[in-house]
Amino acid sequence: MSTPFAAAVLSSSVLSGTSLLYATLGELVGERAGIVNLGLEGIMLIGAAAGFAATSFAGNPYLGIAAAALAGMAGNLLLGYVVIGRGANQLAAGLALLFFGFGASTLIGRPFMGAIVTGLPRLALSELGAFDLLVWLALPAALLLWCLIFRTRWGLALRAVGEDPAVAFAAGRRPGQLQYQALALGGLLGGIGGAHLSLALAMTWDEGMTAGRGFIAIALVIFAKWNPLWAVAGALVFGAAEALQLQLQARGAYVSPFLMTMIPYLLTLTILVFWGWSRRSAAPAALGRNFFGVE
Amino acid sequence: MTRRRLLILAGLLLFAAEPARAEATLTVGAIYVGSVNDYGYNRAMKDGLTAMKEAVPGITLLEAENVPETAEAERIMEGMIQQGAKLIFATSFGHQQFAFNLAKKHPDVVFEHAGGWMQAANFGNFFAATQAAWYPMGVAAGKMTKSNTLGFVAGVPIGFIIGDVNAFALGARSVNPKAEVRVVVTGSWADKAKEAEAANALIDQGADVITMHVDSPATVIQVAESRGVYSIGFQSIEARALAPKGWLTGLGFTWGPFMTATAKSVIAGSFKPAMVRQGLGEGMLAVAPFGNAVPEETRGLVLAAVDKIAKGYNPFTGPLSDNTGAVRLKEGEALGNDKMGDFDWYVAGVIGKAK
Repeated sequence: MSTPFAAAVLSSSVLSGTSLLYATLGELVGERAGIVNLGLEGIMLIGAAAGFAATSFAGNPYLGIAAAALAGMAGNLLLGYVVIGRGANQLAAGLALLFFGFGASTLIGRPFMGAIVTGLPRLALSELGAFDLLVWLALPAALLLWCLIFRTRWGLALRAVGEDPAVAFAAGRRPGQLQYQALALGGLLGGIGGAHLSLALAMTWDEGMTAGRGFIAIALVIFAKWNPLWAVAGALVFGAAEALQLQLQARGAYVSPFLMTMIPYLLTLTILVFWGWSRRSAAPAALGRNFFGVE
Repeated sequence: MTRRRLLILAGLLLFAAEPARAEATLTVGAIYVGSVNDYGYNRAMKDGLTAMKEAVPGITLLEAENVPETAEAERIMEGMIQQGAKLIFATSFGHQQFAFNLAKKHPDVVFEHAGGWMQAANFGNFFAATQAAWYPMGVAAGKMTKSNTLGFVAGVPIGFIIGDVNAFALGARSVNPKAEVRVVVTGSWADKAKEAEAANALIDQGADVITMHVDSPATVIQVAESRGVYSIGFQSIEARALAPKGWLTGLGFTWGPFMTATAKSVIAGSFKPAMVRQGLGEGMLAVAPFGNAVPEETRGLVLAAVDKIAKGYNPFTGPLSDNTGAVRLKEGEALGNDKMGDFDWYVAGVIGKAK
């Protein structure tokens, strides 16, 4: 009755990596527009709490996903107002959003702690296994995002804003509006990433349950060179790092859980070292800089 | 006497009368490391305090949930003392040092810490001796398993937890010599996503009875229930609400009697600090009601094992070898309660390395 090791690790990695992938895609869209969102962890938490609360309230996990997406979007739009509308420093604003997310998610989730919800049902849509809807939609979401960024006019404008907003502005685009749109989409994806944790993986809400996944996602964006397709590979690798140690333990091979928990972060550091080696960075040139407009 | 003096005298008398009523009350402060809605450790603490409040008239209970195991705990307990608390329950292992610091600063306040070892004139320690109590849980699991693989999700691999796993394995193998226990350590007392993944990993390896020692059994039990395997609960007997189909039995802390006795002793002024460790049958641990899946014969075996432990049977009696074959306890040797924190080896039948 026991599943073969490779299949078990793969399915665990996919489950673990899905929330990472959504969060990475969300951060990626924002960064392509030139805005770094360090508060991604907060957005994921808000999404997880809102999703869990809505599911507990309404009894429908899909409504929960919708609520999580909207809550994440609201959070990111808040960041957008602070950064685009008021010109605040992006890093500081992102960190403020992080703490805000911690607090807001605790506030939303507190009355629902301990509630038993029907999580997302697992659908066996192919012979690869039975996963919930968000897992099945993860890869299509990445592909869609790739098309959106690299094959549409909107995507071109988005990338232009991320590279040099002054040029985009001169070409007739509105950088501020595009950045807002990117953040809205990013928040939507980030919220869904959080919801996957509370509605599919753990089926419960606990304070701070993302346990640093938001920061791993931010690192993953760099790992993926701001390309959604590479983000899929990265999310799978990072998901595997977490899943592997638990599966190995279940098999009887002893690996220190504390050592294995370090691995995603060690990977991140390694990536940053290697990716920083080449002079030509793949980052959007105007990443982190605010565009104050041409008066 | 003038009317004015009469009124002043009456006012003073009323004022003097107040303390007589106030002496009957005791303000008790309690800090929890998590939420009391966890169907687990914190819920059991809350239930105990509620029982204490109902048993002793005039108690005012101040509570704080989600108190981290950092200096913040000290500040929160200090706040409770400012509000008049004379008895503080620091319910999580990591609150120990902070409670101890405050005990030195406030010699008139009594502190009771759960799960540690420090003691002072106004600082006592209490916990249940859980290890032997896992033996009857193992009996239940050993009888109910069909795949002969049992899964145990452990939080932090300290000696006490390894002891729990060992007793569980010994109990299982006493009724089913082919049973094996697989252990997955998550590394944290409360990481819900990891607990879910750990439970899934164990079920992937064929475990059809899952149990755990983490702060909240909720996630592991829910995963087990969603995958159609049996579960055995821990921390709070209320956890059976989570698994209507797969629940076998469970252990729960019943802190009520101890907390009531402590409160009464503080009110009477007769508090004596002690390192209290009670096992099954001494009041701090209870066995949960059986689930519907458990047949009569198995219930009988489990209850017999409970009785055996309550009467003093120590499963850690030699001859006993660990899972590499090395002899750990010779004929006639036994490990007492004080050695439960020293475990760094698994008994035969447990798959994994303890260190």
